[in-house]
Amino acid sequence: MKFLMNTGRTVPQGESVERKDSPEYEKATSVCMIHPVDMMVLGIEDGARVCVKNKSGEVVLVAVSSEAIEQGTIFVPLGPYANHIIDSETHCTGMPDFKSMTVDIEPGDTPVMTVSELIEKLGGVRYAH
Amino acid sequence: MLIKDVVCPFCGCLCDDLDVEVEGDRIIRVDNACTLGSSTMVGDHRLKNPIRRNGTRWEDTTYDAAIEEAAQILLDADRPVLYGWSSTHGEAQSLGVHLAELIGGVIDSTTSVCHGPSILAIQEVGHPGCTLGQVKNRADLIIYWASNPIDAHPRHMSRYTTYATGFFVQDAQHDRKVIVVDTRRTQSADVADEFLKIKPGGDYAVLLALRAIVRGRADVVPAEVAGVSRVQLIRVAEMCKAAKFGAIFFGLGLTMTAGKNKNVRNAIELTDELNRHTKFIISPMRGHWNVYGSNEVFTWMTGYPYAIDFSRGIAFYNPGETTVIDILSRGECDACLVVASDPAAHFPRSCVEHLAKIPVIQIDPHPNATTHICRLQIPGSVAGIDAAGTAYRMDGVPIRMKSIINTGIPNDTEILQKLYNRVREARGE
Ligand code: SF4
Repeated sequence: MKFLMNTGRTVPQGESVERKDSPEYEKATSVCMIHPVDMMVLGIEDGARVCVKNKSGEVVLVAVSSEAIEQGTIFVPLGPYANHIIDSETHCTGMPDFKSMTVDIEPGDTPVMTVSELIEKLGGVRYAH
Repeated sequence: MLIKDVVCPFCGCLCDDLDVEVEGDRIIRVDNACTLGSSTMVGDHRLKNPIRRNGTRWEDTTYDAAIEEAAQILLDADRPVLYGWSSTHGEAQSLGVHLAELIGGVIDSTTSVCHGPSILAIQEVGHPGCTLGQVKNRADLIIYWASNPIDAHPRHMSRYTTYATGFFVQDAQHDRKVIVVDTRRTQSADVADEFLKIKPGGDYAVLLALRAIVRGRADVVPAEVAGVSRVQLIRVAEMCKAAKFGAIFFGLGLTMTAGKNKNVRNAIELTDELNRHTKFIISPMRGHWNVYGSNEVFTWMTGYPYAIDFSRGIAFYNPGETTVIDILSRGECDACLVVASDPAAHFPRSCVEHLAKIPVIQIDPHPNATTHICRLQIPGSVAGIDAAGTAYRMDGVPIRMKSIINTGIPNDTEILQKLYNRVREARGE
């Protein structure tokens, strides 16, 4: 099912932003807020894992139901999870479409990766603090 | 020991009224800060010493060895990018410009991926702004457009707008009206007098409709514009015209959606229109505590606010070409110095993939997502905590940050000065 993805700051994301290897940061940035009606259409419950993908890549997130989100859109806090599926096209402005990417969502049961696993997948070498 | 009036190094509000209790080299209590500010001040998640990657292993190193290795990486590079700069003090930013010029590199700040488009719009049509002090003391109408202060700048409302008592606004809750415009109902929208819920991507159309109504041409506006009824738009336009002093604060909802700089230009032009009726100002909600400082420092040194390319021997500025995301997505950059920011967490995937292929040196106090892709990380102290330095608040007011504890960790200026000296020396200058 197609959605328009919005990203942005949240308090839990900001609180843990200086501890990116912490479970709090991972939890704060790997959520995908969806309107309850869209959750029903997808056939998922609060806390279910979803696979969010587009031509840039795919990432597994935890679905959280929120009536504040417009139907047909999702909100993902800014961070490495959201950016895993953001395209680098800037339309000659220097700024990618961080708040207007079209994504496809499917229910899934793959575990949510940690931040270091995500970055390792992109070619990094994990530093364990 | 209690230290009063400490400045918070987290967001662009740069709150300067924190009471901090310190014990030796530790901060044990913070009063007056929001959750984001307190967790920054009391956080003890620092990297203890410089680290370097040896193949697939990490090892500790010394400051001198790390600076030597960093200098070699920069000297070997043909297209180095010096990126970040929003969470460090002005003195370090200025050294960054000198270093970029010396090695013929590109210097860009996180502005590129936050309010870069706002600057493009301001360069086209100007910036009718003012200080936050003026807003607090005079503004009787506040508009938060595509910004969510409760989550991103938690004390903005209590220090300057919704809940702040001012000289001419004695009873803020009663005398000040607040309008929130957003695509989702945020907590900030919940406390507003009026909430305009617009369809995603509808900002440009709604701004145009408001401009038409303010000009007296409500007749050309359709019954609904991007999910907002004409009735509500007329009501909002009347509220704006009736205000004695209106202030629009806009966020990344304008700069990161289709239209980008054109959305911001349209918002500035609405402000212009409103100034034919009353006093109105507009300002971006700058995110990182000194991102505005990077624009100020880069501008007084090079003439340009961000994305400055020294590869021609002179300062060249062309956002869309010399901006970090574009350089990385073209696969052009062959070494990167990251200072006080975390591109691996905040850049699109393909840019992070490119960074993982090239030598990245990071100067940052915390292990972060970029740590996993860098070759070398050098921790510096933090302005406002264990380093002193100057920062610019979101309204362009420079504020001196004090050092309130002594950790013995070198600050970013000291690290960059040594790096700069080493590069010059190696080039026989
Ligand atoms: S609003 Fe911003 S500057 Fe003020 S205390 Fe909170 S994080 Fe710090």
